[in-house]
This record gives sequence, structure tokens and C-alpha cells, in this order.
Amino acid sequence: MNLVRTLLSRAGGWLPGLLAALVLSIATAHAAGRDTLVVGMELAYPPFEMTDTAGRPTGVSVDLAHELGKFLGKKIVIQNMAFDGLIPALKTGKIDLIISSMTANAERARSIDFSDPYLSTGLCLLVGKDSPVKGIKDLDQPGRSVAVKKGTTGHAWAGKNLKKARVLVLDKEAAAVLEVVQGKADAFIYDQMSTYQNWQKNQATTRAILEPFQKESWAVGIRKGNGDLRKKVNAFLADFRKRGGFERLGDQYLKEQKEAFKKLGYPFYL
Amino acid sequence: MRLRLAGITKRFGSQTALDDITLELPEFKALAVIGPSGGGKTTLLRVIGGLMAPDGGELEIDGERVGFDEESLLAHRRRIGTVFQAYNLFPHLSALENITLPLEKVHNIPPAEARDQAQALLERFQLSPHGEKKPAQLSGGQQQRVAIARAMAIRPRFLLLDEPTSALDPEMTAEVLDIIMELRSEGRDIIMATHHMGFARSVADQTLFVCDGVVAEEGPAEELFGNPQSGKLRNFLAKILKY
Amino acid sequence: MNLLFAPHDSREGGAIPLPARIVGGLCAFLLVALVFAYAFHSLQYHWGWESVYAYRQKFINGWLMTLAISAAALLMSLVIGLCTALAQRSHFLPLRYLSKLYIEGIRGTPLLVQILVFFYVVADAFGVGDRYAVGVITLSLFAGAYISEIIRAGIESVGESQLESGRAIGLTRPQIYRHVVFPQAFRQTLPPLAGQFASLIKDSSLLSIIAVSEFTLNAQEVNAFTYSTLESYLPLAAGYLVLTLPISLLSRRLEKKFRYET
Repeated sequence: MNLVRTLLSRAGGWLPGLLAALVLSIATAHAAGRDTLVVGMELAYPPFEMTDTAGRPTGVSVDLAHELGKFLGKKIVIQNMAFDGLIPALKTGKIDLIISSMTANAERARSIDFSDPYLSTGLCLLVGKDSPVKGIKDLDQPGRSVAVKKGTTGHAWAGKNLKKARVLVLDKEAAAVLEVVQGKADAFIYDQMSTYQNWQKNQATTRAILEPFQKESWAVGIRKGNGDLRKKVNAFLADFRKRGGFERLGDQYLKEQKEAFKKLGYPFYL
Repeated sequence: MRLRLAGITKRFGSQTALDDITLELPEFKALAVIGPSGGGKTTLLRVIGGLMAPDGGELEIDGERVGFDEESLLAHRRRIGTVFQAYNLFPHLSALENITLPLEKVHNIPPAEARDQAQALLERFQLSPHGEKKPAQLSGGQQQRVAIARAMAIRPRFLLLDEPTSALDPEMTAEVLDIIMELRSEGRDIIMATHHMGFARSVADQTLFVCDGVVAEEGPAEELFGNPQSGKLRNFLAKILKY
Repeated sequence: MNLLFAPHDSREGGAIPLPARIVGGLCAFLLVALVFAYAFHSLQYHWGWESVYAYRQKFINGWLMTLAISAAALLMSLVIGLCTALAQRSHFLPLRYLSKLYIEGIRGTPLLVQILVFFYVVADAFGVGDRYAVGVITLSLFAGAYISEIIRAGIESVGESQLESGRAIGLTRPQIYRHVVFPQAFRQTLPPLAGQFASLIKDSSLLSIIAVSEFTLNAQEVNAFTYSTLESYLPLAAGYLVLTLPISLLSRRLEKKFRYET
């Protein structure tokens, strides 16, 4: 006990300094280096953001990011994180760009800047096979349950438009699909591409109502005040499209969807 | 009271604590049980007190057979006042509550009456000022006296005391032994295990020397202490009375 | 009077004079506040409380739901824990082994896994769809296993000699439990029990993964809508403290009340 007292009385000067250094080291770190761009995405969204069997990031957005890196002459680092954590991470400087199939809308534009859109899609429904829901109009009724994924435009739409139905907010797309498959939710509001895929995987228990009730377009997320980077990203997107880059990505990853959507008459790329 | 044992045996695994004990004692008021630790003294007392069922044999107290099924033993225990060497009292209850607990819960005496009886006993043993105290706040001697009061409260057939003073210092030992002597003079039946030879000699009519699971010697106290027959008893007494 | 150090012979909270307590407490609080202020300052965070304030009803609803779920689970887990603790000492062997199996299984797996399995597998197999009921039951089963061990430790901490003393005065086995064991065991179990209850309240946040609209999920939703992370999560932390602190204080008060030497 006496030893502690002695130490404390002698410590007086350097203890606050030690604490300050500690705090400094745990304070937010900004993105590393001038030659690297950290791109944030949630690797749980095949075939845009996913991991291969070895655990490496792969998919449309990953390839797009690497092409951007080549165009700008910078190294790209892919940062995997939860979808609803992307914007806070961008705001605090943990990542430099968001390329995660994120819809550009007015609310998000208040917090971050978006590049020009690079893909158009829409919100649609995955419904249970036995659900009485035939379309978006059947949704907002008492007794109906609608699943959404936290932080998506589907979640935002449900929050604004569903007053009588119960909204089930899930963390993961897979959980939301499971809810529909098990009949615990009548419908899952999500984008067309994924809804099509989820229906393909669960044909015995679900139906897909692919008619979009809210059109959306995806863009790259950039921190506010970074106008220079934004200009560069837009230049890249225009160039990439001219070179047929998006065509190639579509053929590589989305062949089946492309054909199915063409048959249904839905637009695929901007 | 009269005590008769026939073929009482108790084994713990491979150890034989009581080996075919048979004895029949003439009418006595106080029985002292002496012997070395581990010799079977405590086990014998537990059997007589209904706390342990032997593996075989018969037990008769005042001519009444004591059954060894749990129900009979429970009834038997309820008529005996037992005091152990230590940890008699419940630490979360006051001295008074320790006495009223068996009165109320076992003998169904209404609380008010139980309280009065308990108070009277505490007063008798000069413990009135300590009634509301918890055992931790009492000295060892006071705790044992409360334990004796509790044993007395249920108006037992007889008192069973297992070395009640072994954990006490000489001064407290004396105050507890005083009480036991007092109860003896009142005519209470007592069975007591003790190391105090002098006390045993003065208080007991009959004495048992229990050693290695058997009753090595029995008889009136005067004879046992004055004229020990067996070598074991002689050795034992020599050791005890050395200092 | 020394304002910073406790006197040599004082036990916890015993004889520390009030001015020293105030000075000591303030120092600790200031230190923590300083660390947080520095961290937030270097973050250069733009605070946006207004957007979160607009969603205050969501916070309140979520907090009330957490309160309800926790209260229900608390009661249920206490009952389950008590029954299991007694079942472990039962003379009927299948019951004894069943309770051991339950305890080891629950304590050996993460709550997250239990929630997912109970809701998406077990409840679904039995056709039970109410996620709130299943959530409360899952939480109760989870905490019940830990509480059962706490109670068992409390019961076993009551020495054998106490049991023998109880038998000697003629109490039946149930009477011994009621008048001798439980009152003493209660004192032993209070601190870990309070800790377990506080844990239960915090663990209820995991129910968010099956879309139970409790406090944490609601705060996360507000964050998703407004992108104000700290303004959503700081009230969240405060809200949980409001629920757990009273338990801690009550437990300390009860401990003092039942204090006695053994």
C-alpha cells in the first residue's frame, strides 16, 4: 500500500502525459498514405461484393474498384464492413470510397457525396409462396410482416410507407430471406438483382415480384469536401463505360440475370 | 433412563466404525462416553441420537425400540436435545430465534408462547442481554450455552452432548460444565461424550470406554476411573491425565 | 485529513469521510471525461443531435421493450435456475442428469447461436412464430443455466454442519432448506445474481438479430436513417445504464442488510 502511495506521489508529472499518449494512439486513424485508397464494401452481396473460396474479396464492385485504382494510379485496399457502417466509416475517414452497390438518394446525399450513377435497378419484393401478397399495394395491412435489411433503401422505404404492417429489421440478407422462406415474413423488400437470385435459390418456397416499385441507381460514395476525387471518379466511370468495361463485368458475373431481365424488359445498366 | 444396544454395526466403506456393539446398562441418570478420537465415540452417539442409521443391530431406550427408518428416526430426534462440539447455532438467526425455531417449526408451539419460553431459558442461563445477538457476536461459551438452552427448550427425554467443551478455552469450559452439572442435579438424563475425566467422574453414573469400534470397558464411573481393567483404558487414561 | 487516501483500517465504504469520497469520486469522473473529451475532439466529429431527437419515440419504444423483455426473462430465469439447482440435487436420477445436460449445453454455447437455433430451427419446427415469446424464453433458458449454478454454489456454501444441526433439532429436509439453507445461501448468491441480472439486460440486445424491436435495434435503425452514429449510440449506452445501475445498487443495499459473520 505504501509503495503505491510513493509511486503515485512521484508520478504526478508524467502520468497525464502517458495517458495523453495512450489516447492519441487510440484516437481515430485516417486512411493510410497518399498512394492508397481504402474502399469500403460489405462482402455479403453476391455477385457484386463477395468472397471467393479462399476468402479473398471478389465480385463486380471489387473489380470495379481495382479498375479505378489502375485509372488513378493508386493502390486499392478493400475494407469489409457491415453495410450500415459504411457511411459513418466514410465520414470519419476510416475509408475513402464506398463502392458497395449503394443507392444514391437525397438523405444519404446530406451526409456524403455521390459520383454519377453507374447502375440502375429498383426495389421489388420476394414473397412467400403461400403469401396473399400480390404486389406493393397489398403490403401495408395489419397482420402483414415485411422484412427489410437494416440500413438499405428498402428499410427507409418501409419506415416511411408502412404504417399498418409490421416491419422486421434484419441484419443480414440471408436472415431476411429465411424469414420469408419460413413464412414468418410475407415479403422481403430488396433490389431486383438479389431478389431474382434469392428466388432462384428458393424456388420451392418463394415467388419473386420483380416489378420495381421504386427505381434507384447505384453510385460511388465519396466524403464531402472531396470534390477533386469525385471529378476523377466520374471521369473513370465515363471512360470505363466507353471502353465497354461494364459490358464485360455483366457478362462475367451476371450473365443469367442479364438474360432474365432482358426477357422481363427491365433496364440493366445506365 | 435405560439403554440397550444389540449388535450395532456401522461401516463407512472399508472402515468399520462400530463393530457389533452389544450392551445393556442398568438405570442411569448420566452416561459418560470416553475414548480416543476416531475410536467410534462420535459414531455411537450419532446412532443413539438418531442422526445416523446403523447397518445392523437393535437400539432400545427406556425399553422402547428405536426404528431405523427415516420417519422413526425423525420422531426420535425430535425428543432429544442434541449439542455438538461446535456449529450448533444458525448464524443468520439471533440467539432467541435459534431457540424459537425448533419450538415453532417442529413442535408447533405458537410464536408468542415460543418466545416466552425462549426468554425464560435465556434468563435461566444468564443470557438475557444476548437474546438479540447473532452467534458471531457471542463468545464460544455463550454460543454453547445457547445451544444447551435450545436443547432444553423442547423438553427432551434426554440430552445428548458430544464433547460440548472441546472447542472452548478453560474459562468458558467451566461455565458450560457448570450448567451441565446443574442440569444433572435437577435430575435430567444426560448422555455425554467428553475428554474431561474429572468432570465425567463427578457427573456420571455409568461410563463407556469406546475404542477401535468396540466398547472396551463399561461400568460405574468410580470403578472405571479408579480401577481400569483393560490395558487400552489404562493407556488412554495415562495419556489424558498426563498433564 | 487526507483527501485522496482511505484510512488504514477502513473496509470498503466503511469509514471514509464524506469530503474524501467527493474528492476521490470527482477525480475519477474527471479523468474519464478528459479521456473521452480528447478522443472526441481529435475525431472532429460533427454532432447532429437534432436528427436523432426527431426519432426520440423510437428510442423510448425500444427502451420500454427492452425493459419488458428483461423483466419477463429475469423472473422466468430465476424460476428456471431455482428448479434446476434443486433438480441437480434430486434423488431421481434422470432429472438430475437432465439438468446437468441443460446447464452444460447452455453454458457452453454462445447466446447468439442459441437465439438463431431456437428461433429459426426449434421454434419453426414447432410452428411457434412469435419472436418476442421465443426471444424471452431463449433469454430465460440462457440466464437460467448460469443462475442455477450460482444458486447451487450458494446452497453448497452452507456447511454440512448446518445441515446436521438442522437434523438434530428435528427439522425435515424441506424445513432445513427453507429455514437454514436458503436464508444463508441467499446472502452468498446476491452479488453474482445481481451481476447475472445486469448481464441479462445487456444480453437482451442480441435479440435484435431476430428482428425483435428492442432498444439496440431501434438505436441502430435511427443510426441507419440519420447516419449519426455517436448521437444514436451514446443515448443507447445511457439507457442501459439506467436499467442496470439500480440492480447493482439494490444488490449492495441487500448485501449490507443481510451481513453477518460466519
